[in-house]
Amino acid sequence: MSSSAMKKKVLLMGKSGSGKTSMRSIIFANYIARDTRRLGATIDVEHSHVRFLGNLVLNLWDCGGQDTFMENYFTSQRDNIFRNVEVLIYVFDVESRELEKDMHYYQSCLEAILQNSPDAKVFCLVHKMDLVQEDQRDLIFKEREEDLKRLSRPLACTCFRTSIWDETLYKAWSSIVYQLIPNVQQLETNLRNFAQIIEADEVLLFERATFLVISHYQCKEQRDAHRFEKISNIIKQFKLSCSKLAASFQSMEVRNSNFAAFIDVFTSNTYVMVIMSDPSIPSAATLINIRNARKHFEKLERVDGPKHSLHMRMR
Amino acid sequence: MEDDCKPLLSSEQTAESQSYGGSTDSLDVKVKRPFHVEPRNIVDHDPQERVSAEAAILNSRVHYYGRLTASSDRLLSPPNHVIPHPEEIYVYSPLGTAFKVTGSDHSSKNPSIVTIFAIWNTMMGTSILSIPWGIKQAGFTLGILILIFIGLLMLYCCYIVLKSPKAIPYVDTSHWEFPDVCRYYFGAFGQWSSLVFSMVSLIGAMVVYWVLMSNFLYNTGQFIYNYAHNVNASDSEFGTNGSERVICPYPNTGPGGNSTMASLFINSSSSGNETSDFTSFEHWWSKTNTIPLYLIVLLLPLLCFRSASFFARFTFLGTISVIYLIALVTIKSVRLGFHLEFHWFETSGFYVPEFRVCFPQLTGVLTLAFFIHNCIITLMKSNKNQENNVRDLSVAYLLVGLTYLYVGVLIFASFPSPPLFKDCIEPNFLDNYPSSDVMVFVARTFLLFQMITVYPLLGYLVRVQVMGQIFGKHYPSFFHILALNILIVGSGVLMAKFYPNIGSIIRFSGATCGLALVFVFPALVHMISLKRQGALRWPSAVFHSLLILLGLANMVAQFFT
Repeated sequence: MSSSAMKKKVLLMGKSGSGKTSMRSIIFANYIARDTRRLGATIDVEHSHVRFLGNLVLNLWDCGGQDTFMENYFTSQRDNIFRNVEVLIYVFDVESRELEKDMHYYQSCLEAILQNSPDAKVFCLVHKMDLVQEDQRDLIFKEREEDLKRLSRPLACTCFRTSIWDETLYKAWSSIVYQLIPNVQQLETNLRNFAQIIEADEVLLFERATFLVISHYQCKEQRDAHRFEKISNIIKQFKLSCSKLAASFQSMEVRNSNFAAFIDVFTSNTYVMVIMSDPSIPSAATLINIRNARKHFEKLERVDGPKHSLHMRMR
Repeated sequence: MEDDCKPLLSSEQTAESQSYGGSTDSLDVKVKRPFHVEPRNIVDHDPQERVSAEAAILNSRVHYYGRLTASSDRLLSPPNHVIPHPEEIYVYSPLGTAFKVTGSDHSSKNPSIVTIFAIWNTMMGTSILSIPWGIKQAGFTLGILILIFIGLLMLYCCYIVLKSPKAIPYVDTSHWEFPDVCRYYFGAFGQWSSLVFSMVSLIGAMVVYWVLMSNFLYNTGQFIYNYAHNVNASDSEFGTNGSERVICPYPNTGPGGNSTMASLFINSSSSGNETSDFTSFEHWWSKTNTIPLYLIVLLLPLLCFRSASFFARFTFLGTISVIYLIALVTIKSVRLGFHLEFHWFETSGFYVPEFRVCFPQLTGVLTLAFFIHNCIITLMKSNKNQENNVRDLSVAYLLVGLTYLYVGVLIFASFPSPPLFKDCIEPNFLDNYPSSDVMVFVARTFLLFQMITVYPLLGYLVRVQVMGQIFGKHYPSFFHILALNILIVGSGVLMAKFYPNIGSIIRFSGATCGLALVFVFPALVHMISLKRQGALRWPSAVFHSLLILLGLANMVAQFFT
């Protein structure tokens, strides 16, 4: 049985209006057409067919609609929805006035997960934090985190506070992706070696669909702390422009007298960005290095592939 | 092949194509962000960031989010609390220069001198023409004393008007004007009555303007006609002889005796049309009969304009007119010399007593002359150093008072009394000079132009207030506006025809609007706010009650003198 037949899911769930569609649009560079901005709850699951970290498919669900039709559908389809879940990302609106109800729905989702996909990783995002006053944000988040951790037992949940208007969203999703990569420490060591060999200033590894930074190596201090998010935004905008022409983004080279930057496909799930500050090194040399490294890193990924599917068969 | 993006190629979406932060057809300001262009200076190793890191990354986000929705979709538009403070926003041109964005809710800050000048400019109205007449009505000494006294009183009332929004607790009064303060203290009654009285001053000013415009247009036309036809009209008027001619247009209004001498000249006064040999020009060019109607053709269309911003550009004409008037007065008084005699209480021949019973006429005129209470809060808002507001206001009032005093005293003193009666001083002192006087002709022309440009502005102010309060919109329909304008113009024409005494119009409208907006409401508001703070002492209460009584007395006295 090949691992590609088992499409594992990433469930993005939360109350209607908690910000899931915007979040997905921003992370996955999905255009939100006006007519899909519905006024009511999601009736059916929104599959986005995103190849996220290999085999993962993103499913978006509204949880806890007021409609009894919604509730019945949810209960009858429960097993279907919660089977083969790799990750559950639950979004809470920090401004919600119905805390009890939110927790109730969260708990029922957790029950379904325990029954159908007990190995799933659970992440809770306390979203729209920009609406809370700055001096109160830590306090409110700590409160929520404690409640959620308590409610989630025996499952372990990781909580993040997010807002689309600051860096917390990007960092939270980067952390989630980092935790989902099975051999990430090994990846980082190899990345460091690679960078030192080719004498790069900085090397970044991006997840392919979302351009979230999985891992990076830098040989000296860089002054812009937000550069990962900026690069991600720029490339996603470029990808949007490319797809308007029905073309897909493959690689990019940016060069001037002070530096050269290369963005290229790396493995089946990742992109790499290499920054060279020595302009005397010709592009061809760096590109050859990247190509050779590619083979090495593919092997690393493939090492875990069969192991992963073996694990699933044994269940 | 990646199929991770939803196709974007629907025709509807390509039409609303990507512009950074909004399409031109959207009038919504929120959609038109990003708020700055980041300098793409990637070569320079300058460690000093011109833009804060948070602003730079927010800009990047806003750019990106703008690509994810249709341009008119506000789903991913940055909310207000996320945008940096206006003071932190810079706009960078790709060429490297940067300038600060002036926040739209911040009025530009002016140094004190500009504020003082703005107040002086706004207060200097056509009442400057009536000050000599007013001094004459009150008597020379009493007139000067009253001018100083009323100036100080109105300065104090202006000061308490200026203070009033700040004394209101728990409410954001930063964009309030005095009618809003009245509404806060007295409810709808306060708001409506302060608006009505404000209208009285505006419409009074517009009627005065119509009368004066007819006057100036008439004299200008007369001058040009006489010049073109070489007619010497000086013999037909009662006045002095010599190069600097001063006339007495209505000599039958002289005090007491020698009415026979006066009556000899009635028949030949050129402003009436009872004489047998008036020409057809005088028939068609008459100050009271035809010119007010000619003005309708010129001004009624201007009043119907939707926006008055075009006319606001001509405010400099007012300043030039006043400065020219001051120069004119100086030159005239130098040439005519002083003719002053002090008779304290009795009338004697050519002079008036120093203390007269009809002094309330001067107080009425001065109430309108020093009136700025309905817009002082707005004018002072743009003062850079707000702590100097009181000082700047006092300086402005001092300058205004000095200007009025200067003009009034000089005209009164230089009025040639031996041949003429001091009582001849006209409510519009330019009327005391013949239409053939070149310097006065220039003054009249200046003032005519200035009034033609200010009249639509006043009309716009009246329209905005009246239409806004009654119908909720500034321009409900053309017919509403036309009806309002016909009313205003009609009242002006009627006054010009039947009662062109601007002194009376000024004093009545001044005393009426002064009653509410200068004396009663400010004093009441001040006392109430002090009482609420528990700081009302009985001397203060007595003083402010006296103010209210003074305002009432001022108004009532206009009817009895």
